[in-house]
Amino acid sequence: MDSLLRSRGGALVVFGLAAVTPLVVRDAYFLDSLVLILLWGALSAAWNVAGGYAGQVSIGHASFFGIGAYAAALMVTRFGRGPWLGMLVGVVISIGAGFVIGFLSNRLKGPYFALSTIAFSQVLLIGVSRWRGFTAGGEGIPVPFRPGFATLGLGHAGWVYMALAAALLCYAVEVYLERSRVGYQLAGVREDEDAAEALGIPTRRLKVFAVTLSAALTSICGSLWAQYIGFVDPTYVFSVDLSVRFALNAIIGGMGTALGPYLGSILITSLETYLRATFSGVKTGFAGIYLIIYGTALILVVRFVPDGLAGIAARLRTRRAHA
Amino acid sequence: MSEGATILALERVTKRFGGLTAVADVSFTVPAGELLGIIGPNGAGKTTLFNVISGYYRPEGGRVVFHGHDVTGQPPHAICRLGLTRTFQLVKPFGNLSVTDNVMIGALTRLASVRAARVEAQRVVETCGLGAHADTRARALPIGLRKRLEVARALATGPRLLLLDEVMSGLNPTELAAMVELIRRLHAEGLTVIVIEHIMAAMMRLARRIVVLHHGETIAEGPPAAIGQDRRVVDAYLGEEFVLAQA
Amino acid sequence: MDPARPLGPAQIDVLAQLAVATVLLGGIYALVSVGLTLIFGIMRVVNFAHGEFLMLGMYLAFWAFSLWALDPYFVLFVSIPVFFVVGLVTYALVMRGVIHASHNVQIFTTVGLSTVLQNVALVAWSGDFRFVRPWHLSTVLRAGGTIFNLTQVVAFLIAVALTAALVAFMRWTHAGRVMRATAQDRDAATLMGIDTDRVYRLSFAIGIAAVGSAGVLVAPLYSVYPTAGLQFVLLSYVVVVLGGLGDMLGAMLGSLIVAAVEVAGSYLFGAAWKEIFYFLLFILVLVFRPAGLFGQRGAETLGV
Repeated sequence: MDSLLRSRGGALVVFGLAAVTPLVVRDAYFLDSLVLILLWGALSAAWNVAGGYAGQVSIGHASFFGIGAYAAALMVTRFGRGPWLGMLVGVVISIGAGFVIGFLSNRLKGPYFALSTIAFSQVLLIGVSRWRGFTAGGEGIPVPFRPGFATLGLGHAGWVYMALAAALLCYAVEVYLERSRVGYQLAGVREDEDAAEALGIPTRRLKVFAVTLSAALTSICGSLWAQYIGFVDPTYVFSVDLSVRFALNAIIGGMGTALGPYLGSILITSLETYLRATFSGVKTGFAGIYLIIYGTALILVVRFVPDGLAGIAARLRTRRAHA
Repeated sequence: MSEGATILALERVTKRFGGLTAVADVSFTVPAGELLGIIGPNGAGKTTLFNVISGYYRPEGGRVVFHGHDVTGQPPHAICRLGLTRTFQLVKPFGNLSVTDNVMIGALTRLASVRAARVEAQRVVETCGLGAHADTRARALPIGLRKRLEVARALATGPRLLLLDEVMSGLNPTELAAMVELIRRLHAEGLTVIVIEHIMAAMMRLARRIVVLHHGETIAEGPPAAIGQDRRVVDAYLGEEFVLAQA
Repeated sequence: MDPARPLGPAQIDVLAQLAVATVLLGGIYALVSVGLTLIFGIMRVVNFAHGEFLMLGMYLAFWAFSLWALDPYFVLFVSIPVFFVVGLVTYALVMRGVIHASHNVQIFTTVGLSTVLQNVALVAWSGDFRFVRPWHLSTVLRAGGTIFNLTQVVAFLIAVALTAALVAFMRWTHAGRVMRATAQDRDAATLMGIDTDRVYRLSFAIGIAAVGSAGVLVAPLYSVYPTAGLQFVLLSYVVVVLGGLGDMLGAMLGSLIVAAVEVAGSYLFGAAWKEIFYFLLFILVLVFRPAGLFGQRGAETLGV
């Protein structure tokens, strides 16, 4: 019970601070960073559902993100309806795509599954880029800003709370997976599928469940993101770099822990915001620099600090308890 | 299920891998409440037979009837839910989870609530003598305790029939005696058990009836004393005669 | 100049053109994939960064051509030792710690490496599409109704020669036999006194030398840009899987099949959709034929 409070205490601090900030801070740039931290955290938490909790490591989650982004954007620009409807449609399509990926996860192990998820996201990227008639092809879709909740035309404070809602949703799902029957069974699947199967756990079904749940959450965040940023570009929303980014936050923060993705996002997104502010004069070369940093961080963290920030925090806690 | 009624029936089970016939036309029945032993030289097809019974392999021929249901070719998790649980020769603990969590996952097969499963898991952990290591990560356990965890976890699923695959190998004499005692106790409480073993001394002490496999076929069946004298069994174990002599 | 687009009018000519295109392309893909076959077959590590070394080879050819007007075929001879060293360094810094690690560590380490290499290229040379246009690219060869440019043919010949050299090395040298033994049974090899670390190092270095020089070779035939490696890495894995995970001859047959699919697909649907074929083919092969065309050695790694 004590450790439960302690670990949730971290979440209380993080989300509590986020909730309070718009009341105190007015600076648009600061609030914008906060929105991004929360959204990236939510996206990584969504990835974590499949990658950390179910053990299905995908490097193709941009597929679901892009579907969500396009569904929202197209619903507004092409069909003249609201982005919320687009979000719903995006979730439905992403669940369908999740079934496909889930099927692949039952056929392929580890690295090959990961490769296939990359392939899937690239099929979507190319397909969407070429489908000029429907998706405006490689040009991308600018999403108009119309004030109001139904059109997700929110102010800076409004977006902070919207992003916080998404972050809390994904966090709640993670916590559910940590404490529920399904969650324990999923842990068994993650640790040893054959053994889990022998204990009466329907492993195939559970993997598909985890992947589709992860897909739906990712899609929701993608829809929000499209409305927030105001522009959907296929070469970005379906990119491998984006997929890696989702995993990166979770790994640095602590894969398989509920708060980990958010801790990772705080670190990485803050770093990116800082770098962007510092190097704002430099052109596209900048985009590559922090990806080089991320790639290197990924290599180092996964080798030397596999439990991530959450793991470090846990170790400090036990050391203090024993002191 | 009443004592004496058949809980498991194998009818002409055959399993082939390409040109190799691992299990050939094996048939036997197991009455409820029995403690059956399966022995045979390496490569005789014992584990393959377990894999067929528990649903990991689909046989090319024959049927597996558990509790009156034809379970041939059904997925392992479905067979477990019907009441048949198996362990693995090379133990498969959930390494990063604690002993209690490992057993809990087994208990969750029958119990819907996590709390109830935890209580049940703690009970089983005590029963199997793992109480001192309840919070240890499975990965940190030595082989003897891992084997016991394997049994405990399977036990938590509340099976009617338990298949134990070489749970004794790698144990020191003390651990071995404890394991034999555990199995005997579980059997006395009404659990039907099928045991694959190489360690003859243990097998002879536990089993009332033994089936002998060789090259995928049953070559002998009967009480331990008779098996020890059987000409065919001795021939099959040629080079392993010392194994029988230990019995 | 799209190497897969045919120009002949008559039906038979078209088929002949497609067939020859397939063979030429297949030879090149064989060289691209043979390095991966080696690395994967011996080390059993899925290297997500494989395509990035090819991309670096392409850039090497580009810069040598732009700055010093060196023909790619000349650069090729330099690239082999250069990429061999690159392979040694990469092995020491990145791969060595990863061979015995869990799948996740392998995935994320090589994905991280891929990201780093791609973006080093992006930062250093920008994302602009570059082209290498040596004189032989516009030299046309005709044979019995089929038309190809000299670059394709020479690339094919060199690719075949290098692949053959590699196969010969694996079959007839002591080092090659040691590597094959390690591929078949890692533990037995260790027990036989083989220094597996050295074997891995050599395999990886040779594999990178192969794929890097393949990059130099194909530079005139494709556009050069930082993410150019992505399509090749998936293509290579299709070849490796089709060929049966580590079997060189199988990889060559697999290369022909991949080339055939690309050539036919481009012809029927147009070159714009070409890239999508690699990815679709990859998924289809893994779903329907994960054990390869012939065998299943290593298929368990796939989860079959």
